[in-house]
Amino acid sequence: MKLKKESLGYVVVFTFIVCVAFVLLLSVANQVTLPQVKANQNYASHYAVLAAFGLADASTPKAEVENLFASKITELSTQAGPTSAASATYSADIDGARYLAVRITNPGLWGPITAILAADPAAERILGFEVLEQQETPGLGGRIGEAWFAEQFRGEKVGPDGKVSVTQGSGKGDPDRENSKVDAVTGASRTSDFVQILVAKALTAVKEIGGSL
Amino acid sequence: MSPARKVFNEGLWSNNPIFVQVLGICSTLAVTNNLSNTLVMVLGVTFATAMGSFTLSLLKDLIPRKVRMIVQVLVISFYVIIVDILLKAYQPAISKQLGPYVGLIITNCILMGRAEAFAAANKPGLSFLDGIANGLGYGWVLISIAFVRELLGFGTLFGLKIFGDGFTPWTIMVMAPSAFFLVALALWIANIVKAKAEAAAKTPKPKAAVPAPAKQ
Repeated sequence: MKLKKESLGYVVVFTFIVCVAFVLLLSVANQVTLPQVKANQNYASHYAVLAAFGLADASTPKAEVENLFASKITELSTQAGPTSAASATYSADIDGARYLAVRITNPGLWGPITAILAADPAAERILGFEVLEQQETPGLGGRIGEAWFAEQFRGEKVGPDGKVSVTQGSGKGDPDRENSKVDAVTGASRTSDFVQILVAKALTAVKEIGGSL
Repeated sequence: MSPARKVFNEGLWSNNPIFVQVLGICSTLAVTNNLSNTLVMVLGVTFATAMGSFTLSLLKDLIPRKVRMIVQVLVISFYVIIVDILLKAYQPAISKQLGPYVGLIITNCILMGRAEAFAAANKPGLSFLDGIANGLGYGWVLISIAFVRELLGFGTLFGLKIFGDGFTPWTIMVMAPSAFFLVALALWIANIVKAKAEAAAKTPKPKAAVPAPAKQ
């Protein structure tokens, strides 16, 4: 029996076949690339932890990142303090001193921001900050993922209120490590506010976990 | 003019998706404050338009009219998600930077526009070329705008510092309003040039001057 092109039967059968075919192809593509995507995510996470501790930077070779992570970083079982919400905690001994890093997720402007923050166990000075995942506006809030933004936190003193403020500055980065302040991203004040909240939460988490060790 | 040449002439200039069809403006406003993001967006749109038009042209005799738009969206989404999957797997840094914008290629009107206006009535090969031509037509306008915005907004090109530390960035160039001004400016200039070219084509060419009879 030959179906007419505009008949209901043909429309239903054709649409069904086309949908199944394309969705099948997409699932195959997704499955084939899944191990690669997982490997990328693992690598990004390990790199972010090392970068936050100041043990790796953009020039570190990929293979070296995995070696460094395995040899220098310990993942702690204490995941969160009484009020904090860190999803993972890491520790590393650098020049004889112990430092902690927490992985924390908090809302951003468009979606959750996940970042790694490393500091001393008393959370008095930040060692490093790395944004791992974010969905902020590309070119505006999305710039929180760029190196100059993260670099501002390196060695930054935490204020007496347990915060580092992310406020309007020159937009080029704040070099002063003692003023508990970093430059916000120009044109992205909302995202910058969310980062300030996230950093404060991460510092609370470090302090709580550091105090319980 | 050969059909392929005509397709390229239309996509790049006489029927340019940005300043003649005025399509794809959302992404023009959104991604053009940074040349790298713009370039990836242009490549994504060009690939998805070309492949989408090619596939829809192949299927055109089988697609019932009632569901043609559903099928167009399906095919376009398919290619866009493929781009997204490939970027996630093999270019994670760019995928991270562009975030939700790759998925938003699906809503770029150029893709549906070309599927409906060209691929539905032309052969697959030519439809593919039409997709490439429109992607490039979209691309050169976007890259020109991004060039101005990144240079004045950040003092950089592709992230490389062009101006020294004394340069004060034009914050407005980073924000969406500057894209409105620059797109309007591009539309204005293109229309002046087109109008002049059309006027020149309409004016009859002056006849060769007849030499005055020599006086005896």
